[in-house]
Amino acid sequence: MAKENETREALETLRAAILQYDVEAARSAAQAVVDRGIDPMLAIREAIAGSTDILHRRFDSGECYLPHLVMAGDAMTAASQVLESAIPRESIPAKKVVVIGTVEADLHSVGKNIVAMMLRSAGFEVHDLGVDVKSSAFVTRARETGADIIALSCLMTTTRPYQREVIEELEAAGLRDRFKVIVGGGPITREWASHIGADGYGADAMEGLEVAKRLVGIGT
Amino acid sequence: MLVAGAADMLYSLAGGQAQGGLDGCSRRVIVGSGYILSRRSARLLSILDIAERTQKGPRMDENAWNMGHFRKVSELVARYEIPKYTPGMPFLNVDDRLPERAFKAGVDLLVEQGVYCITTGRVVELSREEVLAAVHQSPNEVAVGEGRDARVMRQREVEGKEPLNFCPGHHSPFTEALAPLVVKNFAQIPRTDFIEGFNFTEVDGREIVGMSMEVYAARRQMAWMREGIRKAGRPGLAVVFYPITTRAAVLISTMDATSGLRRGDGILTSVLPDLKIEHDLLAAAVACEDYGCWRISGSFSMAGGFCGGADGAIVEGVAKPLTAMLAYRAYVNYTGVEHVGTVSALSIPLQPLNWARSVVDQALNRYSNIICMAWVIPTSGPGTETNLLEVAIRSIEATINGANLYAPRHSRARMNAGQTPLEAEFMVEVSDATLRAALDRGRGSELLGKLARMLEGRQPEPGMSIQECYDLVNHRPKPEYERIYLGVKERLASLGLLFP
Repeated sequence: MAKENETREALETLRAAILQYDVEAARSAAQAVVDRGIDPMLAIREAIAGSTDILHRRFDSGECYLPHLVMAGDAMTAASQVLESAIPRESIPAKKVVVIGTVEADLHSVGKNIVAMMLRSAGFEVHDLGVDVKSSAFVTRARETGADIIALSCLMTTTRPYQREVIEELEAAGLRDRFKVIVGGGPITREWASHIGADGYGADAMEGLEVAKRLVGIGT
Repeated sequence: MLVAGAADMLYSLAGGQAQGGLDGCSRRVIVGSGYILSRRSARLLSILDIAERTQKGPRMDENAWNMGHFRKVSELVARYEIPKYTPGMPFLNVDDRLPERAFKAGVDLLVEQGVYCITTGRVVELSREEVLAAVHQSPNEVAVGEGRDARVMRQREVEGKEPLNFCPGHHSPFTEALAPLVVKNFAQIPRTDFIEGFNFTEVDGREIVGMSMEVYAARRQMAWMREGIRKAGRPGLAVVFYPITTRAAVLISTMDATSGLRRGDGILTSVLPDLKIEHDLLAAAVACEDYGCWRISGSFSMAGGFCGGADGAIVEGVAKPLTAMLAYRAYVNYTGVEHVGTVSALSIPLQPLNWARSVVDQALNRYSNIICMAWVIPTSGPGTETNLLEVAIRSIEATINGANLYAPRHSRARMNAGQTPLEAEFMVEVSDATLRAALDRGRGSELLGKLARMLEGRQPEPGMSIQECYDLVNHRPKPEYERIYLGVKERLASLGLLFP
C-alpha cells in the first residue's frame, strides 16, 4: 500500500510539473520516478500521456494557449529522456513521426502550428517545415525522417491543389503506401480529402490529432 | 478632440522629445501613393529601409521568435496592467485609461522586440523614434477610386457620429460563372466605398495551380471586378485585389490601369500572425509605392496563439497595424481580435473577444491614425438567423468603437456560400440604426449583452449558397431569407436600434 501511494504521488508530481509547463520540475520528477524504482513505462503511459488530454481540453476551452502547448511539450520531452534512459533501448516504443507544413504559396501558419503542438504533446515526433513548403520538400523530409504521417495545411482555396500535388509526388516516387497523408485547413472538406486520396481529414486541430492517432494505431 | 490627445500622449511616449507637435496628427489626404509629408525631424522609414533590415538584422530561429513573442507580450500585459475580461464587465471597454496603456504596450512591443521576417529568418529592429515617426506621419484619410465614384476612407472616432466607410463583400470564393454578377450586386449597394476581390479554383475550365495560372487568375479576377463595377454603373469604384496567392509575381501582375488595378485601387498585403512579414508582400508593397495603389492589411490578432490570451491579443492587436503601416505602408487595416479557432467555425466566439476588440480599436482610434475596419466574420453561413445576429453584434460594436465595416463573410467560407449582398446591406442598416440611437459604450454594452444571450446555446449553422438564398438578377433576397432578415430587424428594433 505504501509503495502504491509512493508511486501515485511520484506520478502525480510528474503530471503536475508538465501541467505547470515546468521543464526542470518535470525532469526532476522523472528522475525521482527512476530513483524510486517505479516502472518508467508506467510513468510514460500514465503521467505523460495522461496529461495530454488535460492539456488539449485546456487549449480547447481557452484556459491555455499555443505557447503553453510548446512548453508542455518541452517538459514532456525532458521527462521522457530521463525515463527512457532507464528502459532497455529495445523496449522503448518508437515514436511516431509526423512531417507537417503549410503547402506551397500559402503563408497561413496558425492552424498548422496548433496541430503541430497538439501532435507533439501527444507524443509524436514532429518535424515542422513551416509555411509555403514545396511539395517535393515534404516528400524529401518524410523520407529523411522515416515519417509515418505527412500533414498538410492550407487556408486558401487556390492553394488546395498543392495538397494533391504532394500525394502525386509520393505516387510518382513509388512511396504512396509508405506514408499516411492527412489534410486540413479552412477551405478543406472531407469531400476534398477523399477526392485527392488523402488518408485522413481534420475539421479542426483536435480532430486532426485523433485522425493521426487512429492512422498509426495509437490510443483510440 | 481625440486626435489632439493622441499627439499629447505621443509626446510623452517619446520621452519628452517632441516628434513634431500637434500637426503630426492633423487630417491629411493621400491620393494613391501621393504621400504628403509634414514638418518633422524624425525620418519616416521607407519600405526599402525595412527590406534592408530584413537582410541585415540579427538572425533568429522562428521557434525562438514565437516563444520570445509570448514572453514579451506577457511582460507587457503585466507592465501595463492589461486586465482579463471577467463576466459582469461591460460588453465593450468603458475604461478611458485602458486604451492608452494598450497603445503604449503595442509601441513597446515593436521597440523592444521588433518584427520578424520569415523569408530571411532575421529580426527587423525598430527604434522608438522610428515607430513614433510612423505613428505621427501616417495619414488618417485615404482617397480611393476615381472620378465620380471616388470616396475617402476615414479614421473614425470612438462613439463617433459620422457614417461608416463600407466594403460590402468578397474575400471569399466564387466560381467564374457567378463572378461578374456577384461583383455587380455588391457594387450596386449605394454605400459601397470599395470592393475586395475573391478567389476561385478554376478559370477558363483549367485548375489554378502553378505560378503561371495564378498570374492569369489574378488578372482575370481584376478583369471581372472591373466588369462588375462597370455593369453596376460605377466604373470608378475602387477595387482591392485579393491575392490568388501571395507570390510577388501574382500581386504585381494585377497593376494594369486598363483592365486591372488602377492607381486609386488597393491591394491586400497582410502582416502575418506574431508580427511577421515576408519578402513577396514587401516586394509588392515596393511596386505599389511606385505604381500608386493603396494597401490594406489584415491586422487583427489571434487570441490563443503565440500572443497568449485576449489580454495578450490586445497588445499584438495594437502592434500589428502599426507594423503594417511601417512595413507595407498600409494605412487601412482590418483590426481587432479573433480566436485561433474562429476559422474552424465549430462554436460562436463571443467574449472575451468582443471586449478585447473594443480595447484595440479604441486605442488605435485615439492614439494613432490607423483607419480601422471591423471584419465581420460570422461563424454561420448566409441564409440563417444566426448569421444575421452575429453580423449585427459585430456591426454595432464596430460603430461604437470607431471602426468601419469590412466584408461580411462566413468564417469558414465555401465556394459560392460565404456571403450575399443582404448581409452587407444589413450591416450598414444596423450601423446607421446604432448611430440614430446614439448608443454610447455603456448603452451599447447593455444592448450587445442582450443580443449575445440570444446566441447562447446555438451552434454555427452552415447556411446556404448564394443562389439558394439570393436573387442575383433582381438584387434581392429570396422570400424565405427576407422573412428571416425582417424578423431579425424586428428583434433589433425591440432592443432599441432605430431603423427608419
